[in-house]
Amino acid sequence: MSKGSELVITGISRSFGAVRALDQFSLTITPGELVCLLGPSGCGKTTALRIVAGLEKADSGSVFLDGEDLLAKDAAQRDIGMVFQSYSLFPNMTVAENISYGLKVRKHSKQKISQRVDEMLELVSLQSKINNFPHQLSGGQQQRVALARALAIEPRVLLLDEPLSALDAQVRTQIRDEIRRIQLESGTTTLFVTHDQEEAMAISDRVGVMQHGRLEQIDSPNTLYNKPATTFVAGFVGITNYIPSVVESKGEVQVLGQLLDISEHSQAVKKGEEVRAMVRPESIQIEKASHGPTVITKPFLGPMTRIGIDAGLKDLIYAELSSKDAKKFEMGDHVTVTIKTDSVMVSHA
Amino acid sequence: MKINLTKYSLVGIATLLALIIFVVPYSASIEYSLRGNFGKGHNLTNYYWFIHQDGFLSHLSLSLELGLLAGILNLLLMVPTATMLHLSLQRYKPIVDFICILPLMIPVVSLAVGAEYSMPSFIQNSQFELVFFFVILALPFTFRVLDSALSAVPLKTLVEASRSLGASWPSTIIRVVLPATRGGISSAFFLSFALGIGEYTMTSLLHWETFTTWTVVISQQNLLGSIALSTFSFLFAVALLVVIAIATSRRKIRKNSEIQLVEETV
Amino acid sequence: MNQRTVVPGSEKVRELGISGRKFSIPLPLLPFFIFVGYFLAWPITKVFIASLKSNDNKWTLSNYGPLLHGVYLHSFIVSIKIGLITALLGSIFGGLFAFVIDSYAGPRLTSVLDSISAVFANSGGVPLAFTFLASFGANAGLIKLLKRWGWDLYAEGFSIFSFTGICLVYIFFQAPLMVLVFKPALKGLRKEWREASTSLGGSNAMYLRKIAIPILFPSFVGSFLLLFAGGFSAFATASALTVGNVPLIPLVIGNLINGNVISNKTHLGASLAIGAIVIAFFAMSGYVWAQRKSTQWRK
Repeated sequence: MSKGSELVITGISRSFGAVRALDQFSLTITPGELVCLLGPSGCGKTTALRIVAGLEKADSGSVFLDGEDLLAKDAAQRDIGMVFQSYSLFPNMTVAENISYGLKVRKHSKQKISQRVDEMLELVSLQSKINNFPHQLSGGQQQRVALARALAIEPRVLLLDEPLSALDAQVRTQIRDEIRRIQLESGTTTLFVTHDQEEAMAISDRVGVMQHGRLEQIDSPNTLYNKPATTFVAGFVGITNYIPSVVESKGEVQVLGQLLDISEHSQAVKKGEEVRAMVRPESIQIEKASHGPTVITKPFLGPMTRIGIDAGLKDLIYAELSSKDAKKFEMGDHVTVTIKTDSVMVSHA
Repeated sequence: MKINLTKYSLVGIATLLALIIFVVPYSASIEYSLRGNFGKGHNLTNYYWFIHQDGFLSHLSLSLELGLLAGILNLLLMVPTATMLHLSLQRYKPIVDFICILPLMIPVVSLAVGAEYSMPSFIQNSQFELVFFFVILALPFTFRVLDSALSAVPLKTLVEASRSLGASWPSTIIRVVLPATRGGISSAFFLSFALGIGEYTMTSLLHWETFTTWTVVISQQNLLGSIALSTFSFLFAVALLVVIAIATSRRKIRKNSEIQLVEETV
Repeated sequence: MNQRTVVPGSEKVRELGISGRKFSIPLPLLPFFIFVGYFLAWPITKVFIASLKSNDNKWTLSNYGPLLHGVYLHSFIVSIKIGLITALLGSIFGGLFAFVIDSYAGPRLTSVLDSISAVFANSGGVPLAFTFLASFGANAGLIKLLKRWGWDLYAEGFSIFSFTGICLVYIFFQAPLMVLVFKPALKGLRKEWREASTSLGGSNAMYLRKIAIPILFPSFVGSFLLLFAGGFSAFATASALTVGNVPLIPLVIGNLINGNVISNKTHLGASLAIGAIVIAFFAMSGYVWAQRKSTQWRK
């Protein structure tokens, strides 16, 4: 069922009045790849998705699917599958009728439709619900049916618009993994939009972080986390400590008594300027001491514990340790705080 | 481009129909009412005429009084009822819903006949019996409006918060519930008020003379004058409600833009 | 939505009140039920009883006899016709208006149009009749204009004081009433359904045929029935527009209880009133059915 198509988006811009929703947005998705657009509300990710779907118009730019000009086609002719955030199943139709909708449009034979519906229900593990109506299903089940409906037509591209946002936390994780499994099985090129960074990092081949209508960085989740290209990406992906620091000289910054290099993707700063150094919790090392910064919180997160330390700054500093290592620290203990990396990213205060 | 064609043709047809059904009669009656005597020219003589008729003020004030009382009684009856239904007695909502649809379905004439048969004489001898029936007639509209106003706010949460902070029931209602549903309450009031001053069927069948029945009598005498009267009451009602609508929507739009502002900074 | 959050003090409230064998009315709802019971249920009950009594106070069904033939049956039929025709025209025009407003009007314009609809929906009686007289009566500017252009409506037998005239006038409040009751149903059509249909390749026609119309149909029927009931029982406008030439049930009833006729016919007025209620009852059942159907697919 490998249906990989290549999606090439070039220079898409879109404004709504004075608001620039998308600014020269470009992205290439290789066949079979799952790319996630990640960003806060209003960053343009949904607009980009809807332009590919044909539900919005682009002011400029182009979208090519396997070499075909997509923007020249009506939304209904684009051979895409789309899953919406919620309420997109037709309420007056059963699960089977919903799934067969796209097939009926394409005038498949009754036999072929019935076969395909069964296939899709097996894919999403909902065979028993074949004759139920949407209002009889849970949120997670509804989204699985929506997925089945979108895939039934063997689309060349699958578009998902925050499909998990309306679901409960536990269901969200299950369905998210289901989506990834099904996507890999069918080999469909997929574009997924979300504001939840954990979701994006968990299932994507590549993640594109967006802000203010622009793509700030697009890389594998690993690269994004360890080598963020901008301070926004560094702050948006994963947890970060923002530690008030002072710029010592060109290229060096004084953080908590340590002199560290300023990493190359930091914002431009001047000597003597007060900045924020961005340090990941796993880069913070603590040792027991007789006086100094105090342990304030110690929430147990399963395999890891994130210890909150009061070092006399406005916010707590968070250090992430394995729970085994964290056992020796108690609330109220004094610790020394050391930063384990050589260079840090800095941003303006 | 295809979508635009559908949009323009639909809006065009709708506007054309609306013009024919509403604007033409309206403007024609305005023109008619401004006609001078013996068809000569246009002026406001007809308006002067009916204002100076004997009984204009007395009947108008009677209608206003009845309408006002109907509005107040309606609120007194329905606001607590609707509130309680929303808060803790939701099981009874379908029944109340059904009862409030009845006045739309039961022909007013039938109810008038019933009134004649059932009301004791002390009620039948007072024109204030109309107030009670106006309230009944307004039930469908006022209940619906109050119901949607109550649904628009997280009422249970607000009341529970107020009660848990130590406020008594009356205090909660006055300081929490009423302000939150202000829009619905004023709409409900104005709907019953409007119905009260414009009601004809009940009034005439129960042989009372309010502004509406008086105008029918007067109109026998002077056609142009009564047309001026009709046009006047129409324009007045529309103007009143449009003003209310703009005032309420301005508040809503301001509130919405405030919410948007907060969303953007978050 | 079925959470039973307990509001402090409500359990006590529930205990107080009137309890029968099968039902109980909690205290706070008592005023409502008493008011409605006395000013709505009681009058109707009295009429019903009166319709079953003859002049010498004996139980009888004879008052219902005249309803089944002759003048009174004819009046019922004419009233039903008016109800159906004006409901049909009103729901088609009103439905179109509701759709256009819902799809294309901005929030402020919608507010204004909603209020105007509310006023127009409640209009009637002499003001409405005279407004139409002014615009379509024999001396109206429009009619004179048409005459000058060669189309003499009145020569062809048109008159505002006729069956056709009444239908024309009734649209003035039927269409806005449709806007008021049907537009909320339109809002229930989620835009995701349209977009999903489009993304699956469905055309506008297919969306309408398979999704929009099936979902809207019950609400449309319910609204239509509401309009029918209103058109059937309208009194004020009818009395202003007819001079006895169009037999309508509300007018007939009105005449009978106005004492214009000999007193032994008052019981007939009661039976006619009940007959009218029966017709309205059918419309009402249909409406309740339609309401239930329209929300069957909602959780």
